[in-house]
Amino acid sequence: MGNLLEHMGVEKDRIHFSWISSAEATKFVDVVKEISDKVRALGPNTKLKKIYS
Amino acid sequence: MDTYTKKIREIAKDLLASQKVDRVIGFEMGTIPMAARPVSIESENDAEKLVFNSLCAMNLANYIRKPKGTIAVIAKGCDSRNMVNHVVEHQVDRENLVIIGVPCHGMVDKSQLALEVEGEITAYDEEGQTLKITTAQGELTFEKQDFLKDNCRLCQHRNPVIHDYMAGDPVTEQELEDPFADVNEIEAMSQEAKSTLFEDLTKNCIRCYACRNACPLCFCPTCFVDESSPQWVGKSQNKTDVDTFHFLRAFHCAGRCTDCGACVEACPMDIDVRKFTRKLIKDSYEMFGWEAGLDISKRPPLDTFNPADPDDFIM
Amino acid sequence: MSENNVKIVSFLCNWCSYGAADLAGVSRLEYPADIRVIRIPCSGRMSPKFILSALREGADAVWVSG
Repeated sequence: MGNLLEHMGVEKDRIHFSWISSAEATKFVDVVKEISDKVRALGPNTKLKKIYS
Repeated sequence: MDTYTKKIREIAKDLLASQKVDRVIGFEMGTIPMAARPVSIESENDAEKLVFNSLCAMNLANYIRKPKGTIAVIAKGCDSRNMVNHVVEHQVDRENLVIIGVPCHGMVDKSQLALEVEGEITAYDEEGQTLKITTAQGELTFEKQDFLKDNCRLCQHRNPVIHDYMAGDPVTEQELEDPFADVNEIEAMSQEAKSTLFEDLTKNCIRCYACRNACPLCFCPTCFVDESSPQWVGKSQNKTDVDTFHFLRAFHCAGRCTDCGACVEACPMDIDVRKFTRKLIKDSYEMFGWEAGLDISKRPPLDTFNPADPDDFIM
Repeated sequence: MSENNVKIVSFLCNWCSYGAADLAGVSRLEYPADIRVIRIPCSGRMSPKFILSALREGADAVWVSG
């Protein structure tokens, strides 16, 4: 999925997949921080967002 | 390819006369020059309608799902792979299907040929590897090799994978140095360049869904574009909606697409829809070593679990 | 939208990551408020059209977690 989106010119970091067990609250927090940082670095989504006109 | 036509007619006549099949699905010449269209015949007298030439680029696997009775169908290499797909995906029983295999020399890219000649094409004929085009200016001849469709140039399975009858001797398969050169080229581009490329690619799309209707893989009872609650994709020609449609349609073909080129053939706006599916063909080959429709006894990779499946995209 | 305020649509499996999110809340752990959680009954409920739909409706990123 991510591969084809990247192929189409959408930044890879806009899609994330992860695997967290229900006992891993700290991992959850780490992953949220990581993703949040990456997406902030990318800025707002412009590629696939629908602009109603 | 006249020998093919002759042989196909013979086999079809024989099958219908002996009532081994209820109908034969093949091609007949259309009402305008340079067009072959699918036809279903039920009587042996109609067998003379059947033809096979370099214009038969549509995929007849599209017409064999859930058949009433037994059907015979004409299959090029790529079509036969789609028929394997259909059997694997339980769309048709192998027992109800008689496959008349045709070793394929590639199909002609009509729009490319139309660019080459001035004015309207009034007649078309082919002899071996030579194409004869008649226009108002007179008769012109072309080498078929120069006007092959893009997917036929990259085809590595010209001979039918499964067949009950063969309409000719197998042809030699093409040896390609790099079957995914076109995909690699796009992959090497910058993200902005890719974005522009696909923007240009889909900007002419009129959302007629001809690519979907021509594709043998698209057999969902309700397609996601027709669903209205929730509505996954808008019906307008808005750029996002068009991209979403093409992306999702391609993704539904992941690990199943045989690169038959029916989508491109059907497109009235000459959009190279294969730019999307080619990437998925490459990925499924590199990640799972899988080429669609080659083995009737194997389940597709997105259908099965293997501990060795790639999972490095998971954080 | 400013760069400091992104929207990440998160599809969390009820039994795995949603449980982890719950535990993180109970444990009073702090994490960025950029995620919008959608609980799905299982990661198997996930579909590519959810991702595209989210992006289309204005999400800046999508996170799928099992």
